[in-house]
Amino acid sequence: MPGSLASEYSYPPEIQAAINTIEDSLKHSYNLSKRSVAFLLLQGDEEIYRLVEAKEDSNAFMFIQKIIQKTAKQFNESLNYVISVKRQEQVNNILTETVEIKPEKGLKNSNGLINELTFNPITGVPILLLVLYFGLYKFVGVFGAGTLVDYLEIEIFEAYINPLVNSWVASYIPWPAIQDLVANEYGIVTLGIRYAIAIILPIVGTFFIAFSIIEDSGYLPRLALLVDRIFKGIGLNGRAVIPMTLGFGCDTMATMVTRTLETKRERVISTLLLALAIPCSAQLGVILALLSGKPQALAVWTGFIILVFLLVGYLTAKLMPGENPMFYMEVPPLRMPSILNVFSKTYTRMQWYLFEILPIFILASVLIWAGKLTGLFDIVIKALEPVMKLLGLPPDAAVAFLFGFFRRDYGAAGLYDLQQGGLLTTTQLVVAAATLTLFVPCIAQFSVMIKERGLKTALAVAGFIFPFAFLAGYALYRVLMLIGGI
Amino acid sequence: MFFRKSKSNNSCCGSDTDPIELHGLKKIVLVGNPNVGKSVLFNRLTGSYVTVSNYPGTTVEVSRGKAKIGNENFAVVDTPGMYSMHPITEEEAVSRRLLLDEHPEAVIHVIDAKNIQRMLPLTLQLIEADLPIILTLNMMDEAEKAGMKINVRLLEKKLGISVISAVFIRNVGIEELKRVVENNARLVS
Repeated sequence: MPGSLASEYSYPPEIQAAINTIEDSLKHSYNLSKRSVAFLLLQGDEEIYRLVEAKEDSNAFMFIQKIIQKTAKQFNESLNYVISVKRQEQVNNILTETVEIKPEKGLKNSNGLINELTFNPITGVPILLLVLYFGLYKFVGVFGAGTLVDYLEIEIFEAYINPLVNSWVASYIPWPAIQDLVANEYGIVTLGIRYAIAIILPIVGTFFIAFSIIEDSGYLPRLALLVDRIFKGIGLNGRAVIPMTLGFGCDTMATMVTRTLETKRERVISTLLLALAIPCSAQLGVILALLSGKPQALAVWTGFIILVFLLVGYLTAKLMPGENPMFYMEVPPLRMPSILNVFSKTYTRMQWYLFEILPIFILASVLIWAGKLTGLFDIVIKALEPVMKLLGLPPDAAVAFLFGFFRRDYGAAGLYDLQQGGLLTTTQLVVAAATLTLFVPCIAQFSVMIKERGLKTALAVAGFIFPFAFLAGYALYRVLMLIGGI
Repeated sequence: MFFRKSKSNNSCCGSDTDPIELHGLKKIVLVGNPNVGKSVLFNRLTGSYVTVSNYPGTTVEVSRGKAKIGNENFAVVDTPGMYSMHPITEEEAVSRRLLLDEHPEAVIHVIDAKNIQRMLPLTLQLIEADLPIILTLNMMDEAEKAGMKINVRLLEKKLGISVISAVFIRNVGIEELKRVVENNARLVS
């Protein structure tokens, strides 16, 4: 039983003595052994400290306090450190007898080499670029957003479904208002469902496949480790890398994950950066699709978002001073992704995505329809037009930004439509895409922000992002004009 | 990975005491570092009845479910990850509070076998706390691939507790783990 193990323990005599004395002076029972309580007291555990303070009488508690102080003075390092090191020594002793490590096999060596390559920044960055190029650009951007979207949009919706719905509605529904609800320019079927099925679905579908493979292979933690160096550079805790990396999957979930960060400061900074500068998978997919035809546009967009991320991260970290605690991260070995796993992950994600977006897209169509009917839509568009003008965008882009209020990818899909119509120059496309990326977080993310950070912080974050997105977009436009456009 | 926890989320404010279905059952608490397979084990043990709720006063989620082991039903509690008994993050603090307040019949410490050196200190702390520990070495296949040979029986003797080797995703070791829990429960009652 445990006793036999305890006898093998060899803590420094001062600590051993302190533990015994504290154990003897604890008169009440705790849900863990007195020995354990004594250790935690020496290690400076506040919760246990308060518990003991509440349970024991004041004399005994003062006595215990004195012992802790006296023992702490006898060591140069903190007691927590001394005890942890001793414990690790015990573990090492046990393991030398119970674990045999064979010299590495050939297979492991090649795996080890790839491992090394992904860690080292010199080789890691090119590998990252390769992963991005083939996994995202080629597969999602060119295949998903090009081939698949073209097929669904042009061959299916524009050739069959839209004309069919439009003519059906025209002949069976006598009221123009109801006709517009279902069909024509902003109808539920011709806009809402078309966006969801023909533009978003193939893009996020291919993105989710690529993301699941990358995730399943164990590459994400390596990416986090690479980025960690940059994070430390701008004064952010390395721990924040994890929610940021997850944000590329879904910002809403990532905002939830920020709760694993240690201090309120880190949680707030991460929440802000997630809402501002980390595009989620759906949005990323559509933006990649939008810009993949023009590599220079993609480069400018990427550079701009990274710049905003670093700048805002740096400034907030400076404005909200605090220390950067140590950070350990678990890095699993690279694994061969299992096809079944990738399939089921992609499937659940697409299912979740469709369930979540279809109602919102349909709702948005209905709201836009109601807005058009009441004239509110035109008022909002009119109000946005001067802003569009400042950004050098055509008035039609206001519609895309209005869509963006509902979901960011919905707005991006609106841009996609404009671009397909040949209404945007490359410069305009980049400015619009960049502004829309920074622009408001989606409704789901905002509600999680309220839940996790409280209404005040959530509103403050949104209040910062809204004007900032347009200002940054404006700055980008001026800079691009200055160099003569791209 | 992102969407698992959406099952039945009575997420706000309510007390975290057991749901009716789990009342009066003996408890099994799963502990360990994040990413060692606790949730996989949780899913393999439970199934029929699962709730996810916030620990009172925090936003940390705790999953609870019912497992049938032998002829008896157990309430299984999946804790958020913890690295040591001395907590740093809120999630670790919640994990420890669960360990202390739930009076578990069995505490299953799940570790990643290939990282045993880094994870065993927590086992020592749990033993020290007099908790009814069963140590489970998960991902044994990866440890073996890395050239590690762990003498499980000797480790059992050294630690004075039951040690089980397992590969949860391939269902290896689950039955043995259940048998050990069943035997321990019989000893207690």
